[in-house]
Order: sequence, then C-alpha cells, then structure tokens
Amino acid sequence: MSRRSTRTVRVRISAALVAATVLAVLLVPPLVQLDQQAVDLSSKLLSPSWSHPFGTDDLGRDLFLRCVYGLRVSLLVGAAAALTATVIGTAIGAIAGALGGRADRALMRLVDTFSSVPHLLLGIFIVAMFRPGVWPVIVSVALTHWLSTARIVRAEVLSLRARPYIDAAISGGASRWRVAVRHLLPAVLPQAALAAVLMVPHAMWHESALSFLGLGLPTHLASLGNLIQGARGSLLAGQWWPTLFPGLFIIVPTLAIAGLAGAWRERINPRRRSELML
Amino acid sequence: MTAPVLSVRGLSVRFLMPSGRRIAAVTDAHFDVAAGECLALVGESGCGKSVLASALLGLLPANAQAAGGAYLGDVDLLAADERTLARTVRGRLIGLIPQSPAAHLTPVRTVRSQLEETVVALTGTRGRAAVRQAAEAAAERAAFPAGHLDHHPHELSGGLAQRAATALALIGNAPLLLADEPTTGLDRDLVHHTVDELRRQVDVGRRALLVITHDLAAAERIADRMAVMYAGRIVEISDATAFFGLPGPRHPYSRGLLGALPERDFIPIPGMPPELGDLPDGCAFAPRCERATPTCTTLPAAAAGLVCHHPHVTEDLRA
Amino acid sequence: MSRLPWGAMARLAGRRLLFAAPILLVVTFGVFAIAAASPFDPVKAYAGTAALGADAETLERLRDNLGVDQPFTSRWWHWLTSAVTGDFGQSSVLRQPVAEVIGERLVWSSLLCAVAFLVAVLTGTVLGVLAGRRPGSLLDRVVTSVAYSLEAAPVFWLALLAVWLFALQLGVLPAGGLTDTASEQVTFRQVASHIVLPAGVLAVSQLPWFTLYVRQGVSDALAEDPVRGARARGLSESTVLLGHALRSGLLPVLTLVGSRVPELITGALLVESVFSWPGIAAATVEAATAVDFPLLAALTTLATAAVLLGNLLADLLYGLFDPRVKFSDM
Repeated sequence: MSRRSTRTVRVRISAALVAATVLAVLLVPPLVQLDQQAVDLSSKLLSPSWSHPFGTDDLGRDLFLRCVYGLRVSLLVGAAAALTATVIGTAIGAIAGALGGRADRALMRLVDTFSSVPHLLLGIFIVAMFRPGVWPVIVSVALTHWLSTARIVRAEVLSLRARPYIDAAISGGASRWRVAVRHLLPAVLPQAALAAVLMVPHAMWHESALSFLGLGLPTHLASLGNLIQGARGSLLAGQWWPTLFPGLFIIVPTLAIAGLAGAWRERINPRRRSELML
Repeated sequence: MTAPVLSVRGLSVRFLMPSGRRIAAVTDAHFDVAAGECLALVGESGCGKSVLASALLGLLPANAQAAGGAYLGDVDLLAADERTLARTVRGRLIGLIPQSPAAHLTPVRTVRSQLEETVVALTGTRGRAAVRQAAEAAAERAAFPAGHLDHHPHELSGGLAQRAATALALIGNAPLLLADEPTTGLDRDLVHHTVDELRRQVDVGRRALLVITHDLAAAERIADRMAVMYAGRIVEISDATAFFGLPGPRHPYSRGLLGALPERDFIPIPGMPPELGDLPDGCAFAPRCERATPTCTTLPAAAAGLVCHHPHVTEDLRA
Repeated sequence: MSRLPWGAMARLAGRRLLFAAPILLVVTFGVFAIAAASPFDPVKAYAGTAALGADAETLERLRDNLGVDQPFTSRWWHWLTSAVTGDFGQSSVLRQPVAEVIGERLVWSSLLCAVAFLVAVLTGTVLGVLAGRRPGSLLDRVVTSVAYSLEAAPVFWLALLAVWLFALQLGVLPAGGLTDTASEQVTFRQVASHIVLPAGVLAVSQLPWFTLYVRQGVSDALAEDPVRGARARGLSESTVLLGHALRSGLLPVLTLVGSRVPELITGALLVESVFSWPGIAAATVEAATAVDFPLLAALTTLATAAVLLGNLLADLLYGLFDPRVKFSDM
C-alpha cells in the first residue's frame, strides 16, 4: 500500500473512532440510564459475556456502561483542563511574542522553569494543597500543560510580526490592540485550537493518573482513572476485566484524537522530515 | 586493442514520478573505457551524467528503472543483485570518488576511522597495527596529509576532502575509477592538481578512469577520449586531441560547448536544455541548433560515435 | 577518541549551574506561594487531630514555631537557607527529618529508574534500528503501531496488567515490594527478582519514545549522502547500518534524552505506587495524601534538580558525540 493511502486509511479510522467516542458519550447516557448507586450483587463480577460484553464490576454494574460514563467524565474534565491550559498558554505566548524583548525573555524563562518540574509531581502537589475535587484537578492539569501552547503561539506571533501587513497596519495608524485583535488573534487561533485538541488526551491521562493515586476526582464521579483504582481489589483476586477495559477506553480515544489531530496538523503545518509528533 | 574494462551498451534510466510522469534521465548510452585510458563524460548540469554513475554502481533510488547492459569484466552491472554489487562490485571493481566528497563521509567519525573501516572491509588486512598502517598508506597514495587523519569531515577543506575521497576509492584497487565532478568548488590550481593526481592513477596504476564533469578545461587536461551528453543521450564520442584541437568537435552542441568557454569564443548556446520529462521525438538539441532542418524531427542513428543528422565533418571545413 | 575536553565541559556545567539556581529559586518560591494560596494549614497538618483538643496557648506556640503568621516569603527564605545546609525540616507525617526520609528511599528509586532507563534505551535502539532499516516494511509498521499504542497507554494500567499476568496468572514474578514478605534481610537475589516487573513496566512505558526517535533517525540517515558514500565504498549492509546510519541517527536522540527525565520520574511515581516499591515516589503519594508539606516541598525541589541534571548530562553527551558541536556554543 502506498504511503498516501495508508495515511488516508489511518485518518479515516481515527475520524470514525472519534465520532464513535463522541456519539457514545453523548447518546448512551441519556438513552441507557445507569443508576450509579444501583447495586446488583447477584451479578457481581461476571466475566465478559453476551449480555454484558465487558463483564460486570464488583457491585454488579455493567462494565461497558460504567466505562462509557467514565469516559464522559474523563473527557469533560480533560477538555476543561485542555481549554484552560490553552487559554493560559495562548495569553502568555501571545504576550511574549507581541511584546518581545525583556518581557519575552522573562516569560520564556518562566516556561523553561515550569518545564523543569515533572508534570505529575507538580500536579500532585497542587491537588494535595487544595482540597481534592474537580476544580483542583482541572487547575493542576492546566497549570502543567500550558507550556507547549505558549511556545507554539509565541512562534506564530513572532513570524506574524515580521510580516509586512502588520507593519503596514501599525504605521497606518491602527492601535496595537486593534492589530492584535483583528490580525494576530485570528491567525493564531488555528494553532491554538489544534494545540487544545492535542492536549485533551494528555489531560485525560494526567487526570487518570491523579485519580488512580487517589488524589484526583472524587470516587463517586467514577472517571476512568477512578474505575481503574477501584478495580485493584478485584484484580488481585484474578478478575482482569474491570482493569482492562477502562484502560482501553483511555487508549483508543487517545490514539484516535492524536491520529486525527496529527492529520490536521500536517495540513496547517507541513512538518520537517525529522519532527515527530510525540 | 585491449579489451575494455567497462562496456556500456544501450543503457537507459527512467524515473517514475509519483504523478505518473516518466523522466528519461539517460537514454541509450553506448561507450567503452579501456585500462590506462581516461574517458571524460561532459555535459551541462542536469543532463543525466551522475545518474549514469549511480546506475553503474546500483545506487539508483527505488523509483528508477534501468535497461540495457553495462559490463565490467564478467559482471553485468545492471543485472547484478544487491549482494553481488555490495560484495564484488562496489569499491572492488569500481572505485567511486563522489561529488561533494565531504558530504559523503559520516560526520561523526574521523577520516582515519573511515579509512580503516574500508581497509578491513575490502582487503584481507587484520590486526590493529596492520590496519592502521594500511590506512595511512592509502592516505599517502592520494597525497592526503597524515596530520589530518584524525580530523572529522567537516573540518576538511575542499581539496583535502577530495583527496580523502580519492584515498578511499583506491583502497580496493579497483580497475575502474569513477570520478563524479571531482573539481567542483575548487580553485584553478587545485583543479589542476586534482586532475593531475587522477591522471597519475591512470598512467601509473593502469586503471580505467571515467570522469564526469562539466568543466571542459579540466577535461582537456586529463582525457584521452571525450563523450558529450545532452538531454540524457550521448551525442558524441571523440578522441580528445581531435576534440579540443583540430578538426574540433563534430556535434553542433559540442561545438557550442567549446565556443562558450571564456578562453575561446565566449559565446553561450542560445536557449535552454529541455526538461528530461518532456523530450521531443527527434533530436533533443534541434530547437537550439543553427544547423537544424526538418529531418531533425526524427532521431538520428548513431554512427561512428556521433548522433546527429548534420554533423561538422572534415569535408565542411575544407569547403 | 582524543582527550576529553574537560575544561570546556566543566565550563558548560558551570554555566548550567548558574542557570539552574534561579530556576530552583523560582520553583521553591512557587511552591510556597501555592501553599500560601491554598487552604493548607500547617498547624493542623502538624498536630493532626490533636489540634482539635489543644488549648490556645499550645496552638499559639505551635504557630510561632512553625512561623505561620509570618508572610510566606519569609517562611520560604527561612526554608531555603536551611535547605542549602541540608536541613529540609521535619516530615509531619513520618516524624523524621525529611533529609533522612529522602536519603533512605533515594537509593531504591535511583536503582529502579536507572535499570528501567538502561533497558528502555537498549531495547529502543535495537527496535528502532530494525524498524528504520526498511521503512514501510511489515516489521516497521508493527513496531511503529505498537510503539504509538504503548505511548497512549497509562503506565499504571500496564503495571496492573503486568501484575495480573506475571504474578497472579503465571506466578513467575513477585507482585510487589522490595523483598519477599517473609524475609528479614535484603539480599541481592531478592531485589533482583523484585525489580524485574517494576523496572520492566517502567522501561516499556519509556520504550516507545526511544524506538520512534531512533527509527526516525536511522531511516533519515539511510536516505542521506554519507550512507550513499559508505555503500559505494563496498561496505557491508550491517556496517553501513550500524557504523554509519545508527551513529548519525542517534544524535537527535542524545540531544533529547534529557527531556525524558521528567517522564521517567512521572512513570516512576506511578510504578512505585503499584508495586509498593520503597522509593521516594511512593513517599510522594503518601506525603500528598497526608499533606506533608515539608516532604512535598523537598521532593519537588529534588525532582526539579534531577531534571536539570538530566538536561546537563544530555548536553555533555551531545557535545562529546557530535564533533560538529562546540561546548562553548551550548
């Protein structure tokens, strides 16, 4: 198969998976009400079968539904965190790029500083200091993930500043603010949006890790990370499915989003040969 | 006459582009090179000379198709599989002195280590001391100073890099040397020096030398015979003294090439060479040729080392 | 290889240390600032439930001792000046000097990370070469797909599944801890058998990055002139691959290997939790759950220092291995 057709197939599969994820997350909960509190101990820990394709968990609830609900929570928290991170990163990157000089250097030093602290460690620290809950998790993820967006936006702004039409606008009497909003912002938006989408899987991962450690979302929210943590007991007793499937529900959307966003990125940013999307 | 070392018969190379277009880089090449002889293959940049060299070594990219025959001793170079090429041909039967020699050396390794590696691969020398000595001897053969052996390729000047490449090419004691643009980027006296060194390999070493170049002055200094290439086709093969002196080149293009030299008439050939993917049916030079006639829309037959309907023959001069 | 350029390397190290100092200052300052902004109460954390029953005077004395009423900037400065002498304060949960807590555990974490890193680099290089030598081949596509999938997989999930498979189903490896539960001593054999799973899982989580970058480096190098020259000289394909393509292809990996230290630490955090490995990462989780601020502050600083050290090492290696690069330029 030629390079181009494998890539197209990959993109199509990614798109299909992303669509499936979105649909599942949006449609299943309203259609199939899962009472999180409903406990059916008689169906406890059944291995996968026709009636329960992913098996049941330790309280008899269908695991497939639990995973879909969990995915919804993880995606929502991940998206919120990614959005927050993007806003912070865009603001800082734009300011650094637009102001240049000392402010730029200072802000980039800040970026370097933040990137010297391992994400999860800083995330754990933030969550530990504030009472565990949804918002500390979102803030913790956002504060550790704004760096790449800041760098991308700054690079974009710097390249735009060098363009003649910006100079022309400023010397034509337009205020800097006006230039920023009418010209710089629209140009920066695609890159920022792409960065936001690419960040959602990372954010989901980070939240899962925090929840797994017991430092993330409250257990009743049952995100995928919570589910894996809760499955530890059954795992030691030999039941593998409560652990396996939530993990797959993290991996597959991650790969799908990364695949789709990667193709989008190639469209707006033809990459150099030796750059990798990691 | 001695049997030729290299015998090329009807060699053609075509590239298949992703758009479906076919580029005819080399068409129907036909020539011999004998031991103790230097054949200079000249032509403008982009006429397919380097592709021919790659074809002989089996280093064509994946989208290339080669047809015809190229014989070196008993080996059919085009039909040989990768194993034969790697084990018997490259370095051992053909010594390549590549274009941009410094770029063809691995930047993170010293010249010495690359020489020693080639010594081990191509000769039977074993043992650290013997290999080291052999490498130094190889460097000396190409007049590469021993003091620079521990340098890295990017630290070498153009002339030194050329000598390093020559040293590497000579290690396998190949009967055929293939020098691809050996004088690019060198200044005049270095050019003379380099081609004289190469000539020494021919005279003293009794090797066959195929020099690919667009530098006619250098070719004049070194060649026994001249082959002129235009738009992928070899349009003339002549004896060098006849080419550069009297009666001069026979093909109008060759005349134009010589005439374009500053030392001669300094008149460039009007027009541009054609796209190799878009060649006309007949003679490719016809659009720029002052002797063109309607006959030139058909391809001339090759005769006595010449592919032209209206060559400059001695009768013309007398007339 | 010629003599090592110790002078240039030392100067680079010196420049980096100079650069590192403000970073550490900012990070530690940030840590204290976050603590000040949070609902964290050092008194409650220190005294625990006892604070509920204590009288006002005791609490007052505690507050004084802990310097709670001072602005966080002076608390930060106080902490900093003690820290440079090696005194990181007292862990509120473990009732031990923080330096002692870290010292006890650092060895095990370093061992785990070192083994995992080594395995990841070696295996990643081998797989990367095998995949990169024939881009687009079946092996290449399999290796690449598996690598991308592993990259997306949470390391703690891999760890749990590894425990299930190897410890529970197959019963060939222990499920956790440093030594067998019954044993009194720490022997080499026990540590060796207990380190296999955690280091293996950590290595597998770091593997994809190395594989993909080496593969890219090798396949790029194979398409370039130096390899063409090597082939034309008649060198065997394995010599060309290992002596030329790999040598050039490893350089980009070397420059970036320092950026893997944060990932390694993150991975270690999770792996140590799953396997109850007695390292500092496990202590971090305990500290976070119990809000043990002195320990957390020290660990964050330590992790940052480790990252900066990793960057320095990567730059030193790069300067040593790429002759085109001068230390003075870095």
